[in-house]
Amino acid sequence: MNAFIKADKVSKNFGAHKVLKEVSFKVDKGKVVGLLGPNGAGKTTIIRLLNGVIIADGGSMEIGGWNPRVNGHEIRKMCGILTDGAGMYFEMSGAENLEFFAKIYGTYEKKRIQTLLEEFELAEHQKKKVGLYSTGMKKRLGMIKALLHRPQILFLDEPTNGLDPEGIRLVYDYVSRLNHEEGTTIFLCSHILHQLEDVCHSFMFLENGSILESGTKQELEEKYINQVTLRVETGLNIKSDLWNGLQVKNLGVKGFEFKLSNKGEIAPLLQKIAEESWIHDVHIQNRDLESLYFKIRGESNE
Amino acid sequence: MNKQAIWAIAQKDIRGITSNSQVWIGFIVTPLLFCILLPVGLILAAKYMVVADQDLSAILYKILKNLPNGELKHSIQMLPSINHQIIFVGINFFLGSLFLMVPCLNSMMIATNSFVGEKERRTLESLLFAPITVKDLFIGKVLAAFIPVMALTAGSFIIFAIVADALTYSMFEKLLLPNTNWFLLIFWLSPIISLLTILFSVMVSAKVQSFQAAQQFGGVIILPIILLIISQASGFLILQPLAVFLIGIGLLIVCILFLWQITKWNNRNILFEKQL
Repeated sequence: MNAFIKADKVSKNFGAHKVLKEVSFKVDKGKVVGLLGPNGAGKTTIIRLLNGVIIADGGSMEIGGWNPRVNGHEIRKMCGILTDGAGMYFEMSGAENLEFFAKIYGTYEKKRIQTLLEEFELAEHQKKKVGLYSTGMKKRLGMIKALLHRPQILFLDEPTNGLDPEGIRLVYDYVSRLNHEEGTTIFLCSHILHQLEDVCHSFMFLENGSILESGTKQELEEKYINQVTLRVETGLNIKSDLWNGLQVKNLGVKGFEFKLSNKGEIAPLLQKIAEESWIHDVHIQNRDLESLYFKIRGESNE
Repeated sequence: MNKQAIWAIAQKDIRGITSNSQVWIGFIVTPLLFCILLPVGLILAAKYMVVADQDLSAILYKILKNLPNGELKHSIQMLPSINHQIIFVGINFFLGSLFLMVPCLNSMMIATNSFVGEKERRTLESLLFAPITVKDLFIGKVLAAFIPVMALTAGSFIIFAIVADALTYSMFEKLLLPNTNWFLLIFWLSPIISLLTILFSVMVSAKVQSFQAAQQFGGVIILPIILLIISQASGFLILQPLAVFLIGIGLLIVCILFLWQITKWNNRNILFEKQL
């Protein structure tokens, strides 16, 4: 299958500063990709380049068969973007902002605007000036703006910054639903890694303008996790650092942390513990995205 | 050309302009100064003073001398007093160039804010990510400044004409305004000067980072009008209908050059990188 979005050795400089260094990646249609990395890693620059609002100094890009350098207009028609600042007019009301952007995108439909306002729980605030909105409300309004024209590709730059837990769930539930129901390809940039775990199909780790690693979580786990850290909440009474030949650490009320060489050792261990005491909770500590992120960054800096 | 997008940008900006107190101050102060206070001062002074000033008479003589022989020159010379002549010349020539400050200053005030305002509010990024051409964006911005300024210019002229006619009717026993010269000023020269100021200011606005910087650069556009006022006041250049028409043609050519320059300069990525 041909990739929907392709980048091949893309470089970008701002003056003497190299923001992207020969970045290459491919994304298939209908996938949700997490773009992870510290501030200044080049995440936003990738989004801007893909939309043709800035031009790469080297390499090539393709998005839905279009080249951003020459076909930016066609690309921007099929892309929706939520930028970090949301980019709304504070002196206008929420509804006025959306009507304005709908006209700019050539998709002015009052019904669509109302449906989205209700979906993102802003219908009752639509007549308020955006300057009076909370950070979370501005972010949700920015999401609606990005979705107005039913984009095939959605770029979300820090979509949950400033949102409360309900808002975060609302946004990610919608993103997942959009991907499942309409097959929208989604690029998600975020610092809050655990939020992305269940939403993204694959991840790209960026640092200093280079992609350190990319792949699905399973692929990354197989590559980077060579020791399993298992936390078990149990009534077991262990006094030493070893139990049945396994390294163990007492975490107090949280239970014990066992070091295993692979996942295959989990079932036998739990069987043995269950023979001697109760088990209330079992969790693999080092397989979450955050652990992978630090592991990948750590190894690249070694 | 995406008419819906252009009109949406223009409407959005006009709404922003009318809610900006800084712009309103300009909208009130410039007509008040150039269409009421100065004309009233000049007319009343000319109406009631005893003209003994040699310099004033010399300027008036120079103006009359520069006018070609014809009906206008003859009708001025036939006026019953030097006070009548000063008022007639003042209204028809001197106040005309002063009046041009209204479209010029207000166009500059609005247009310098056009792109800089978007940069300062961090909304330019949203516009550049949208499927509109930079040309449409520029047209929208130009219209947003042009429409309110033209409405203001027309309104200011109506006020000026009422004031001037009210003060001079008892002397001349006819309405001095409107006349051909003023029609050309309002419907020919003012729109062109306004467009020129807007194009220049929008160009500056797209290139600088702050409103203050845009205004400093944009202020340059007022210099030719100040020169025109000085020329008129000293009798060096008299704006008769043909001169007004020809100046308009010249400025229109400059407008076209500016437009050509704008389309060359402002591609999307340059505009985008300027805001970063």
